[in-house]
Amino acid sequence: MDTKKTYEPPKVASNFLEWYCNPEKLEEIEGDAYELFYMNLEERGPNYARWKYIWHVITFFRWSNIRRRKPTYYTNTHTAMFKSYFKLGWRNLRKQKLTTFISVFGLSTAVACSLVAYLFIEQIWFKGMNQENKEELHQLVYKIEKEEGIITNGTIAKPVYDWLNETSQIQHGLTRVMRGSNVLIHNNETYFPRTQFVDSDYMEMFSYGIQSGYAGALEDPNQVILSSEFAERLFGDAPAIGQEISLIIAEEEKFFQVAAVLEPMKDIEIFEFEVLAHFDAIWAKNADLTLKDQWKQEAWTFIRVKDESELVALNSSFDQIKADQNQINPDQPYLEVSTIPFTELVPMASKIDNGVIGFMGQGPIILLSVIAAFIMILAIFNYVNISILMATKRLKEIGVRKVIGVKRSQLILQYLSENFLVCLGAIVFGCLIAGAFFLPGFNSIAFKNLQLDLLGNWMIWAWLGGLLFFLTIASGIYPAIYISSFQPLSILKGKSEVGKKGWLTQTLITLQFTLAVIGIVAGIAFVQTNAQNADREWGYSSENKIILNVPDPEKYEVLENQIRNNSNVISAVGSQAYIGNWINQNDMKVADKEISAQFLLSESNYLSEMEVESVSGRTLDQLAPAEFENSILVNETFVQESGLLDPIEQIVEIDSVDHRIVGVVKDFHTIYFQSEVAPMVIKASDSKDFNYLTLSFLEGNDTQTMEEVRSIWRGIFPRDLFTGQFQNQVFDQAINDAEGVQNILLFASGLCIILAAMGLFGLVSLNLKARIKDYCVRKVYGASTPGLAVGLVRRYLILGSIAAILGGGLAWFAVSGFLDSFFAFHSGVGVIPLGTSIGLLLIVVLLTGFSQIFRLEKANPSVVLKSE
Amino acid sequence: MKGYHLGELEELVLLTVGILDQGAYGVSVLEEIKAQTGRKVNISAVHTVLNRLEDKGLLSSKMGGATEERGGRRKRLFVLSSAGRMALEDVRNMRNKLFDQLPPFALEFSHGY
Repeated sequence: MDTKKTYEPPKVASNFLEWYCNPEKLEEIEGDAYELFYMNLEERGPNYARWKYIWHVITFFRWSNIRRRKPTYYTNTHTAMFKSYFKLGWRNLRKQKLTTFISVFGLSTAVACSLVAYLFIEQIWFKGMNQENKEELHQLVYKIEKEEGIITNGTIAKPVYDWLNETSQIQHGLTRVMRGSNVLIHNNETYFPRTQFVDSDYMEMFSYGIQSGYAGALEDPNQVILSSEFAERLFGDAPAIGQEISLIIAEEEKFFQVAAVLEPMKDIEIFEFEVLAHFDAIWAKNADLTLKDQWKQEAWTFIRVKDESELVALNSSFDQIKADQNQINPDQPYLEVSTIPFTELVPMASKIDNGVIGFMGQGPIILLSVIAAFIMILAIFNYVNISILMATKRLKEIGVRKVIGVKRSQLILQYLSENFLVCLGAIVFGCLIAGAFFLPGFNSIAFKNLQLDLLGNWMIWAWLGGLLFFLTIASGIYPAIYISSFQPLSILKGKSEVGKKGWLTQTLITLQFTLAVIGIVAGIAFVQTNAQNADREWGYSSENKIILNVPDPEKYEVLENQIRNNSNVISAVGSQAYIGNWINQNDMKVADKEISAQFLLSESNYLSEMEVESVSGRTLDQLAPAEFENSILVNETFVQESGLLDPIEQIVEIDSVDHRIVGVVKDFHTIYFQSEVAPMVIKASDSKDFNYLTLSFLEGNDTQTMEEVRSIWRGIFPRDLFTGQFQNQVFDQAINDAEGVQNILLFASGLCIILAAMGLFGLVSLNLKARIKDYCVRKVYGASTPGLAVGLVRRYLILGSIAAILGGGLAWFAVSGFLDSFFAFHSGVGVIPLGTSIGLLLIVVLLTGFSQIFRLEKANPSVVLKSE
Repeated sequence: MKGYHLGELEELVLLTVGILDQGAYGVSVLEEIKAQTGRKVNISAVHTVLNRLEDKGLLSSKMGGATEERGGRRKRLFVLSSAGRMALEDVRNMRNKLFDQLPPFALEFSHGY
């Protein structure tokens, strides 16, 4: 029998057999194959035996012998398994109502916050993506070279449109789009709607819901389409169709008939308008313009192509257009004429000048994302902490299951599927909270019309699904891994104690407190800044003054005379711009130094009427009229920036004319406290420059004066828009914005503290439950309840203090930067926000901790210690 | 086992297991068939049939002892179950019944035309 020792079946074949063979059958099959191998070896020699062995291995490779990962019954047990996991999870959640509520509430507020942030970002990033034909639409652009480099321009000249209109290449639609700013008149009332002028193809290329009327209304250039909101504002409940309105276009009144009203538009719409009119209304079709002037008339131009080949053909014919343009306008030659897909407009927004999508403010996006992320992190931390502690009650279950032979991966899966239930609940509640509270609140703060449209927006489903997956994993994976890592032996012996070291729990709760501190500091610092700015001196008197716009300076004197005749009016002065509005910026030269300053032309007594203080020199009304032409006043900032030591009588060159500084006035705020006071130059002028009239009236007659002044104004300017307002309301818009941000911040920081408090409450109460016997033993030995409570809370107080220091430091940096980006004048992060937030935090820790006193008090040692 | 028809190889293997009594496993069945009928059957085919017969309840099996020839691996020993024995008897009765109905001349190959 030596042969057996020297000859073995071929290894490769054996390995192959062992690899594919069903383990249950491997032994008998391999045994038989070996037996045959040795029989053959004896009878026919090693070579034959080997080949035969290989042959046998190959013939054994049959369906019935092959190892399969999933036996056919596997999937059935899978569903059964998940069913039982979900059932178990559901029972567990119901058993622990308080902690479940804390987890679900926290997670769902976080979901609601991120939902609002998502919807806000969606309508910015996916602008226009609701259009049905978006894939077929393209915008025409051209490239020119400027000082900054090569620039893509979003508008294109009229001759390009004319040429496209004449060629047969464009078959599926061609339209120009231009935003207007026109006064609209109806029933002798003037309005200032957002107007948009388009060609008749527009309504076929872009899709809008029609509330009444018909979509083809613009085929007739004398008809307009209104948005539903604006139609309601104009006509109330009366039917809009057939009503007559007029628009002031290039100082001419043109009459239109309302032929259609659109359904309410969403924020995601790329064009925002209230009145849609025909393009011919602004650029008459056959206007007598030189060719050169025609090339200067530019508008956004869109085409619709159904086939890629059309686009290629079109692009190749642009060379001719380019050549024409280069010939006519050699100073600014087009480098290239091309098209940009409609879907690329948002991603390319920053690269297109004069594009449909202008400046995209990143500030609000970042602010909202940060807030949502903060709340999300807080909620997840809460959940992780609580679920680890909740697992203490289930340690034995885990131990028993492990002993029975459950694999660790299965335990993790079980835990995650329970977690899935919680997260699903959180998503559902989150949507409810967002729809019922957060979105309406946010909309009113941000003047938005965001909606949670679960039926019409499939993207929201994808997003919610993604969020559900993320939440399930992010909040569940660590507890799952942690819980499943225990050794059954030590669990069943009672040696394992969850969260004994608890470094993770402690880190998480410290981080939570830190985030809460930062949030509260930001909120309070903003409130403080707003409060300070409300009391901050504007540098001029704004009380009892009304500013009237003067659409036509030639009629200024008529207006002024009639206004002065009113018994309520004390005085009236004219100016080119008013304080609180944009003021011309001019480049000037002072002693060879270039300086850019605001340049205000006004009546000589404007500043004294506004009670702007004079610092040195004379005021404008102390000048002789002959001096008006070459004399100016400057403000303190101007003096500082120009570096003049003795500004009086110094020469400032404005538009190549020398001016003499005759006086210096104190700085005053022409814009709200977002920006520094800019250097400013004031020069006396006469009524030909006056676009505004500022009047002072007798105190206490606000509304009456406004009414009377308005009717005087209307008598003089019947077809213009009245924008008269009180001088002390000029910053209202800016103040509103600041308060909006303040409210969002306060709300977010409130949520932060509630979440942190709830998380802490859950932790403390679970901790107490787990160690109730310990405390009862101490009670028996005579420990007082307050003493025990202090012991219970001490650890959290220490963590809170660490967080207070950490959060205070971080907040000092982060919130200061945040305030700097918002305001030129702000309170900074001082003692008040830091102190309040830290105090608030400690109070929350103490309150939460001592809320458990009653439970300690109630716990009867004789009952508790007897229970097992 | 009503309605179940044994295949030809199945019948052969079932009979062989019966003959071998307690010592039936893959290789011994193979060898026995070879010895008794001269037929060379593939070992994997024998295995498949044995498993199939066991699934149908005609055979039962248990793991037997290990031998050195098998590299220390155990044999799966098959024995005929009572259902198996009944199935064999059914087959035999059916054959006999059919055989008995053959007209006499059918056996006379020398019957000349």
